[in-house]
Amino acid sequence: MDKRASVEQLVETIPDGATIALGGLSMNSAPMAYVREIVRQEKRDLTVVAIVAGMSVDWLIAGGCVKKIVSGLVSFEGLGLAPMFRMGVQSGRVEIEEYSEDLLICRLRAQAWNLPFVPTKAGLGTDLLPLHEGTGTIRVEVDGATGEHYVACTRLPVDVALVHAHSADELGNVRVDPKLIWMDNEIVNAAERTFVSVERYVDHADVVAEPHRTTYPQFMVSGVALAEIGAYPTSCFPEYSHHTSFFKAYSAAASVPEEFETFFADRVLGPKTWDDFIKSSGGDEMIAEIRRRSA
Amino acid sequence: MTPEVEGYGCTVDELMVVAFSRAMDNDTRAFNGAVSFIPVCGYLLARRTHAPNLVWAASSVAIDANPVAIPESTLSDALWDGASMLSTSPHDFWSYASGARYNTFAFRGAQMDACGNVNNTVIGPYDKPKVRLPGGGGMADLSTMIPKIYLWNTTHNVRTFVEKLDFRSGIGWGDGGDHREKLGLPGGPQLCVTNLCVFDFHPESRRMRVASLHPGISIGDVQEATGFEVLIPDGDIPITAKPTEEELRILREEVDPTSARLREF
Repeated sequence: MDKRASVEQLVETIPDGATIALGGLSMNSAPMAYVREIVRQEKRDLTVVAIVAGMSVDWLIAGGCVKKIVSGLVSFEGLGLAPMFRMGVQSGRVEIEEYSEDLLICRLRAQAWNLPFVPTKAGLGTDLLPLHEGTGTIRVEVDGATGEHYVACTRLPVDVALVHAHSADELGNVRVDPKLIWMDNEIVNAAERTFVSVERYVDHADVVAEPHRTTYPQFMVSGVALAEIGAYPTSCFPEYSHHTSFFKAYSAAASVPEEFETFFADRVLGPKTWDDFIKSSGGDEMIAEIRRRSA
Repeated sequence: MTPEVEGYGCTVDELMVVAFSRAMDNDTRAFNGAVSFIPVCGYLLARRTHAPNLVWAASSVAIDANPVAIPESTLSDALWDGASMLSTSPHDFWSYASGARYNTFAFRGAQMDACGNVNNTVIGPYDKPKVRLPGGGGMADLSTMIPKIYLWNTTHNVRTFVEKLDFRSGIGWGDGGDHREKLGLPGGPQLCVTNLCVFDFHPESRRMRVASLHPGISIGDVQEATGFEVLIPDGDIPITAKPTEEELRILREEVDPTSARLREF
């Protein structure tokens, strides 16, 4: 089955109210082409699972798409706080269900492995446990045999995982190449459906010639879409780095609400296709700037 | 610019890096998270001076990295040059961390309390925060797994060093005493390096105690900048040791030639 489609077509299949999970980590490898298209298609009431995120979550909140964020951390790191995340949560417009990284991984594994819970020592003694007394999604238990404390992390269902990768064939065999997958496979393994954006397509024959380079097999992938520089303005190791000037321009615009509205509408959402967006963000000159020096 | 340290020929950021570095040794197996410039400089400096066998995974990914400079993000791939392995979170990192194969972790937060617990989640109530912070990330995990925890803070004042956290995102010595032990957690915080002093932890109460004062800083200055009662050791309080010229040269010329560490001040 040919799984290739456009970013637009795949996003059309995501219903309002869905739970989506975003790949990447902080400034790296976020599925930004899908994120932008979700905002353009005005999806609403999404629950967004993102283990460690930044710009991806910020765009979705800026676009009014989000009901609830399920995350360990959302920031622009050394470049500051994620402004729409901060304002969205402080104003009460967006709900945040905070976990730590490992608590989220364990919840995703419970889902992927069809277990009632996965145990970990992560989170013991922190306020994350009383925070979730109400939700019941994580709870402290004591092992009857050894007397050890652990946190039982219950299943975290995900409707659609969105991840960015280097290449895929027509059947949906995906390469993250080299296999630096952050925590993306945890959300892929837990999700009902996974959509991958890729920098390029390769022939199925190439995949067969070097099967050790495949990261996600076709049966785990529901759709693949071409999006060159598709993680922009985050990085895609080792091909390109995050784009510092975009983060700075975005944060600067966010400090003045009216200015931000124009910036977001024109600069982020204005261009029709992903290629148009990359062109209007500086095109080849910008790409030359973010190409890794050592790449 | 950060203030000059009286009589030391260096600035406070440099003194903090050197104090951090000297706490590391050849058995240190460390990694780093976001916005961790002081520890990253400290690991690299220690490896180039007294602890050549120190293990450091840049961004928790790039094992034995040897970057030519430190970029604006300590999770950036620009920090990974010279690595002998790029590890992945699901397959490698969490196994090495959970089993304490990595034994050293440094973290900071918007608030810290006397027992070295840290808040990076909210200022104000969780449901109606005055300031929504980034979140704890891996703090709640790694602070339960890693035996040697080091804390640092570049803005030592009563807003950051508080009696009670608005939210405990990462555990230090917990409620103090044997709390960690009761929860079955290994080790705990060893030191907290600030822009005014270095704290260690009282062996019984597990509350912060002044280990050394930076030159020109009095115990009164530290108490005034701290929202909980600061413990004082018996006898004279040492002055934080002076960096050698070699340490300063390596830090300035080799480890962090672009002064990325100043992003924390």
